[in-house]
Amino acid sequence: MLFRYLTIFAALVAGAGGAAAQSPAPELPPAADPPALPHDLPIVSVTGRVIDALGRPVAGASVGVEGGTETVKTDRDGKFQISVTMGSTLVVEREGLDPALANVSATKLDDVVMLKAGTNAETIEISGEAPAAAPGAAVLDRTELQRIPGTGNDIVRALTAMPGVVNLQIPLGYSGVVIRGSSPQDSKVLIDDFEVPVLFHNIGFRALVPAEAIQSLDYIPGGFDVQYGRASSGIVALETRAGSDQRTTQGEVSLIDGGVLAQGRIGARTKYMLGFRRSTIDLVLPSLIPASADLSLTTVPSYYDGQLRIDHALSAKWRLYLSSLGTNDVFELYATKDEDAKTKRFYSNTRFVRLTLGAQYHEGPWSAKLALSGLAQQFVFEAGVYQRIDVQLQAMTPRAEITRTAGSWAGLSNVVWRVGAEASIGHSTVDSALPLEQREGEPMPAYDPKDTSTRFHGSFWVPDFAGWTALTANLDPQIRATVGVRSDVFARIGEVALEPRGELQIKLPAQLTARLSAGAYRRPPEFQSENLSTDAGSEHSAQAIAGLQYEPREGIRVQTSGYYTDRSHLLTHNMDGSLNNNGHGTTIGAELLATYRGGPWFTWLSYSYSHSTRVDAPGAERRLFSFDQPHSLNAAVSWKRGRWQLGGRFQLYSGLPITPPTGAVFDSDRNLYIPLYGKVNTERAPMHHQLDVRIDYSWKWGPTDLTVFLDVQNVYMNDSVVTYFYSYDYTQRQAFKSLPIIPSIGLRGVL
Amino acid sequence: MSRALAAAALAALGAVTTVTTLGACAGDLDPPWQLDHDRIIAVRATPPGIVAGQTSTIDALLGQKGGKTSVFAPELATIVSPMSLADVLTFDGGAWVVTAPSDARLEAARAELELAAGAPVPLQVGVSYANRTLIATKTITLGQAAQNPALVHVMLDGQPAGTSELVVGKLVQVPLSVEADDAVYDVTWLTSCGTMHDFDLPVAYLQVEAEDPDAGELAVVVRDAKAGVAWSVWPIHAE
Repeated sequence: MLFRYLTIFAALVAGAGGAAAQSPAPELPPAADPPALPHDLPIVSVTGRVIDALGRPVAGASVGVEGGTETVKTDRDGKFQISVTMGSTLVVEREGLDPALANVSATKLDDVVMLKAGTNAETIEISGEAPAAAPGAAVLDRTELQRIPGTGNDIVRALTAMPGVVNLQIPLGYSGVVIRGSSPQDSKVLIDDFEVPVLFHNIGFRALVPAEAIQSLDYIPGGFDVQYGRASSGIVALETRAGSDQRTTQGEVSLIDGGVLAQGRIGARTKYMLGFRRSTIDLVLPSLIPASADLSLTTVPSYYDGQLRIDHALSAKWRLYLSSLGTNDVFELYATKDEDAKTKRFYSNTRFVRLTLGAQYHEGPWSAKLALSGLAQQFVFEAGVYQRIDVQLQAMTPRAEITRTAGSWAGLSNVVWRVGAEASIGHSTVDSALPLEQREGEPMPAYDPKDTSTRFHGSFWVPDFAGWTALTANLDPQIRATVGVRSDVFARIGEVALEPRGELQIKLPAQLTARLSAGAYRRPPEFQSENLSTDAGSEHSAQAIAGLQYEPREGIRVQTSGYYTDRSHLLTHNMDGSLNNNGHGTTIGAELLATYRGGPWFTWLSYSYSHSTRVDAPGAERRLFSFDQPHSLNAAVSWKRGRWQLGGRFQLYSGLPITPPTGAVFDSDRNLYIPLYGKVNTERAPMHHQLDVRIDYSWKWGPTDLTVFLDVQNVYMNDSVVTYFYSYDYTQRQAFKSLPIIPSIGLRGVL
Repeated sequence: MSRALAAAALAALGAVTTVTTLGACAGDLDPPWQLDHDRIIAVRATPPGIVAGQTSTIDALLGQKGGKTSVFAPELATIVSPMSLADVLTFDGGAWVVTAPSDARLEAARAELELAAGAPVPLQVGVSYANRTLIATKTITLGQAAQNPALVHVMLDGQPAGTSELVVGKLVQVPLSVEADDAVYDVTWLTSCGTMHDFDLPVAYLQVEAEDPDAGELAVVVRDAKAGVAWSVWPIHAE
């Protein structure tokens, strides 16, 4: 028994890299006074189920009698059967989750709830087999990310394989993720629970964080929990990687960037991960620009990013972590060879650093997550002599969540109650002279380098506050429900929002689980130029999702979902350029995700149907959403054996809507053509399909594990139309086609 | 908040990058400096600013596909704004003429446009050519006198510009310049013979490639911030 306790203690103190500690872990008893085994009680066959805090079955957990050596594993439904003496205590363990205890008081036990232990050693905490956080949600771990062809080991590109994410050959002009017929700003991208200003670097469209520094990626396209807020569509939550038990250093270089990552342990209780990456594309870019081009790259586009994570097990009850990431993107170019021509100069510098200090506490049924995160950011952009923006932002976000578990309460079983609060206090200093921001659905205006119709010079505070609570419990052994409410206070605009949300999970026969989710969501007007004024309110959405999950056997999962989203109070422009909340819209869709993991094979099939529309003003005609993509199919297969890993991915998806110009009027004084447009989004780019392949070969060179990979997108060079661009007077148009073939070759070494 | 305004210009940056990228691919589209294209190159009001009782005449420099640039009076013209001054535009003797109204009527127009008392009134005129397939707008300032700018120190291939045909070599850079601060003036160089580089800068250059036409025209248009415009056109021959 002492061995068992020591094992648990070791898991708590040494193994867990210091993150959430929420489950009812046992106290370490005095070694000299071990509890006695109930030898005089009968041996019975006991059945039970192990679930996590959200009611998802935990597969592969080890269940054994306290002090014993024999264990059984939970199956894909989290179920187990074990022969034990009545009255004994079962210890349930699984990597990535805190150990849990269960008293054997009947032959059929209540569900055993295991709570997240945060980051844990080298293992991906949420494996591909883990159930999703909401109907339609999915999880991608690092190893799977590196097996999907066409992603180039990049999180952003990997997201395009998710059902519900709009796919595009080249991301034109948006910096977020388009999920389930919503604008990019309607979804949030979180890293270690906190939002980051941008998702990818200015060049190369690479994610800010390399895949090697990522522990897991949770993709929740809708129906997300009350702990998430200030978003009206979906959540992409990345968790950085804690250090491993063994000290390793690895490096990777490709034609786009190269970086190193070091990790290991400092003493018995502290782990670290340190990563740094620099672009390499800037080293080759100048040689790719033809001498005849009227272009001077005075500062070649380049980027740096860095990641740091330190986890420290302070005690059995407290764990601390420090997480930081930062980036610096810069470029300067002259659209001429004359570097004195200030009107042709474009300059951009984006840099930010986010630092998060967190603490996690657990004792008995109580656990808590506390964090304080700070952000310092600067963005400078200058175009010619008239247009510029310089934004400096400092923000501080304290966050706390307390969890209480109970075996039963008020007739409910396996109860998990959470309460949390967050404050986001930001201060921005803005010096801006830019054209009026183009909103979704508004056709591209004429480019006027002298247009500075949106001017702002000053500072302002943006304080947001939020509180939430949720209760999750079994209504009966087959039904688990979550009800919660979130309240947001958007102080800058003086708005208080109340957002109830709930989910129902119903176990059905034949390995089926049905999930129903509904909730209300708000997005405050804080994106881009929205917060320069306080006239507009938040955007609203109401989501209803129904999902069905089928797991016929270990390694196979099929999940489908259908959803309806009603959007209201959408921000649109008045005639004078100010904002109102007169827009509304709907999205209806269905998704399928089927995965198989077995032996050397990993396969992925996702399909999405979506129809998203908007109405910009009362009485206005309904139109297609600008990122409406009715069909999107991703089919990937990867095979790994020995030193070789081979994979292919086929993509087929609809083109995006286009608003065709019908003519133009020449403004002789400004020397530019003002386009006249027909009905919004009445044309559509043609459907696109492509095949991506990936080959990895690994070998050992001395003490170093080396992997060389070739990741080629669009191998049969299908150059379908992405969009159209027009001559200066809009009398001619030319198709802008996808790049015929995009190879990416890289080398990764682990020492 | 954290991805607030910064992302604004990022989007703008994306747009610029996109425009730059796309622009670099726009090989089959006529570039903005191409004279060999049916277009209105510039509309001129002479003078561009007038006070009560004065008149201003409207014409335009037109480019024609396969033809020469020419100055024409508009086929049609109409007042776009303010509508209370719709009658100040007349067709007289083959020319469209604006006559500045009385100060009292200007005051009424200021009220219509919500302008401050005594402020110049921008009269926006719409003009059309080629059976209304080419449409442009032109502003004439009422209540404040202004003159069109003059072309100063125009240099073509190292020589002061004259009126005679410019003869240039092929596959060489032909320097072009006009004295104008590009932060104040809008300069546009256009040609139907060769490829123009830095066409929207005071200092540009022309290069006639082997596959380019041997003859055509070269033009420069200079605009100021008060709706004034000046242009000059030269025949050009490459050998």
